[in-house]
Amino acid sequence: MDSSGPKSNSDRSAADIAAQLEDVSVKLSRTATWSGIETQNAYGPADVEGMDYARDLGDPGEYPYTRGAFPEMYRSRMWTLRNIVGYGAPEDTREGIEKALKLGTAGVNIVLDTLSQEAVDPDHPAFSPDAGQEGCSLPTVRDLEVLLAGIDVTRTGVAWHTTMMIYPLVVAMAKKQGKDLSQLIGSHMPDHLQLRLSVGNESTVPTALGHRTTVDCLEYSSKNTPRWSLGCPQAYNLRERGVPASGEIALGMAIVKLTLRDLAARGVGVDQVAPSMAWVSGADIDFFEEVAKFRALRRIWARTMKEQFGSQDARSQRLRIACHTSGRALVYPQPLNNLARATVQTLAALLGGVQSLETCTWDEPICIPTEDARELATRTQQILANEVGAARTADPLGGSWYVESLTNQVEADALGLLEKIEGIGLIKAIEDGTIEGLMDDYNYQFKKEMDRGERIVVGVNKFIPKPEPAPKRFSFDPKGMLAHLERFRALKVGRDQTLLKEKIAQLYRAVRSGENAHPAMIEALIADASIGEVWGTVRVASGLAYDPFRVVESPFTYPTI
Amino acid sequence: MPQQKIRCLLAMLGTDVHNKGIRTLAQLLRDRGVEVIYLGEHNTAGGVINALIAEDADVVGLSYSTATYLHYTRDLLDKMRTAGVGDVPLMLGGLIHADDEPALREMGVRGIFGPGSTMDQIVEFLQTATGKTLPGGAAAGA
Repeated sequence: MDSSGPKSNSDRSAADIAAQLEDVSVKLSRTATWSGIETQNAYGPADVEGMDYARDLGDPGEYPYTRGAFPEMYRSRMWTLRNIVGYGAPEDTREGIEKALKLGTAGVNIVLDTLSQEAVDPDHPAFSPDAGQEGCSLPTVRDLEVLLAGIDVTRTGVAWHTTMMIYPLVVAMAKKQGKDLSQLIGSHMPDHLQLRLSVGNESTVPTALGHRTTVDCLEYSSKNTPRWSLGCPQAYNLRERGVPASGEIALGMAIVKLTLRDLAARGVGVDQVAPSMAWVSGADIDFFEEVAKFRALRRIWARTMKEQFGSQDARSQRLRIACHTSGRALVYPQPLNNLARATVQTLAALLGGVQSLETCTWDEPICIPTEDARELATRTQQILANEVGAARTADPLGGSWYVESLTNQVEADALGLLEKIEGIGLIKAIEDGTIEGLMDDYNYQFKKEMDRGERIVVGVNKFIPKPEPAPKRFSFDPKGMLAHLERFRALKVGRDQTLLKEKIAQLYRAVRSGENAHPAMIEALIADASIGEVWGTVRVASGLAYDPFRVVESPFTYPTI
Repeated sequence: MPQQKIRCLLAMLGTDVHNKGIRTLAQLLRDRGVEVIYLGEHNTAGGVINALIAEDADVVGLSYSTATYLHYTRDLLDKMRTAGVGDVPLMLGGLIHADDEPALREMGVRGIFGPGSTMDQIVEFLQTATGKTLPGGAAAGA
C-alpha cells in the first residue's frame, strides 16, 4: 500500500472517491459509430442475409475487390511506408527528405507551402510571410531542379501531396532535361474540386475553372505520361473538412464520375485513365468503421467503373488507395495520447487493405512534424508490420458479421448521398454552398455532441489533463528562405523576357480557345514563368482577376483575340 | 438589463485553409445570440479592416492554424491603429502556442482561445470586452 498519499481513505469524502473512480473508469459512452451509424448489441448471420460471396465480396484481387485489390495483398506487395516532408526553401526540404530516408521511410510525400498549393508566388505582397511555412516553397522549374537535384524522375517516383501546378512543373523539368515523358513516374493529387472545397471560397479556386484544370491534367497525363499516378479524388481533405465515412466515398465518387464523364466527352475512355488513378483517403479514429469504409469503397469503385463506365480492364476496376491517417482526430491536450490514436488508425488502414500509408505524427496538432515524432510514426508502422501481424493475411476482418454489415451500411449511406449530390449536380452543389453547408453542419453537430457528452474525446471534453508545458515546436533556419526569395526575384529580372511574353501569350490564347491548357502551361514554365504568373494568366483568360486577392496586377499585356 | 447586440467579425488572414474551427465557432456564437459577420478565409489586413468599419463590428476574431500568426496579427493591429479602429478588441483562436501568448498580449491581443478553450470562456470574453450583455445575460456564460 502506498502510504505517502496526501490523504488517507478515511479523509476522503464519498464524492471524492466517486469522482476519482469516474476519472479512471472505462465506460461505453457511445453506441453509434464515430460517423453516426447506430450499432446493435451483436451481429449474426441474419444481419448479412442475402449477401453473396462471389457477387458482393469476391476473393482478394477479384471483382468487386471488396476484400482487397491484389490476391496476395501484402505478401506480394507491401504497402509503401510514406512520410510527408516539406518546409522552407527547396534546399531545406531536400535536407528533410534525406533525413526521412535515413529513418527507413520507403517513400516520401513532398508537401508544398500554402502559397505554392494555391499557385501564389512567394513574393506576394500580402502573403509573403506564408512562404516556406507548412511546406516547401516551389514557384518555378528552377526551384524544382534544386529540390530534385540528382534525382531522375523516370527512375525515382516522388509523391507530391498537392494539387495545383506541380504536375506541369514536373513535366516541364522532365522536358527541359530531355527525358522520355512516357517513362515519367511519381504521383500528385490533381483534384481541384477538393481544393475548391478545402480553400472555402469561390474566388481562390473557382469551381468551374478548377474542374476544367483537373480534366485537362488527366487528359494530358493519360496521353503523355501513362506511368504517372493520379491521386484523384483527394478525398482525405474532404473528410478532414467534415464529412462522415460514407460522405468521403460519396463526394469522392461524385468528383470521379464527373471527371470521367468529361474525359469521355474528350475521347479519353475509362480504361485509358482509371488504371492510373488512386483514391487519397483518410483513416479516422473509429476502427471498424474505417475498415468497412475501405471495403465499401473498393466495391463501389469497381461496380461504378464496370457497370456505369463500361470498363473492361481489371486495372480500372481494382482501386488502389493511398492513405494518410486523420490529423483531425488528433488533439492538442496531452498530445502523446495521439500515438495511441495514430496506431489504431494505421492498423485500420492496413486491415482495410491500403497501398500506401502515412501515419500522422503525434505532434500534428501542434506544429509540422518534428524529427523525433516522425521517427515514432515510422516505428509505429514497423511495429504493426513486424510484430503485430497486420500484413499477414488479406482482409482479416472479412466474414465478420459486424464488419460485413457495417460495410453494407457505409455503402448504402454513400450511394444515397451520392445520388443526392448528383441530383443537384456536383458543380452546382459546390458553387451554391450545398456541400460546404453539409460539412459545416457535420462539424456543428459533432461539437454539439461533444458538448452534450454524447461523444467523448479523451483530454478534450473528458479526462482533461492537468496543464502541462507546451511541447516543443518544429523550427528551421529562415536563412534558406531569404536566399530563395532573392533567387526568385533575380530570376524574374534575368530571364529571357521576349520568350516569356511569347509563351504567356500562347497560354492566354490556349485557355481562351478552350483547348487543353496544360501544354501551354508547361511551355511557359520552361520559359521560367512562375506558378503565380502561369495561373494568373489562366485566370485572366477565364475572365477572372489575375490575383484572387486583387493585390497584384498582371505584369503582362494579353493579346486581343 | 437591456440586451445589446454584440457584432463579431470572424476572419482568417493569410493563406491558411483550416477553416472548420472558425466556421463552427460562427454557428455556435450565433446560437448564443451573437451577430456574426463571417468574412471567411484568405483575407488581407486591409480587407478585414474595411469589413470591420463597414459592418461596425464590436469585436474581431481571427483563427490560425499555421505558424505565421505573430506576423499577421502585429500587421493587422498596426493597420487597425492607423485606420482609427485600434480600440476594437481582437481575439485569436486556433493553434496558438502557449509560448507566444505573452508576445500576443503585449502587441494588444485581448483574448486568446487556443486548444482546450470553451464556448463559455469566449462568450464571457465577448461580454467583458464589449461591455455588452448577450440575450440571457450572465447566464449565457454559466
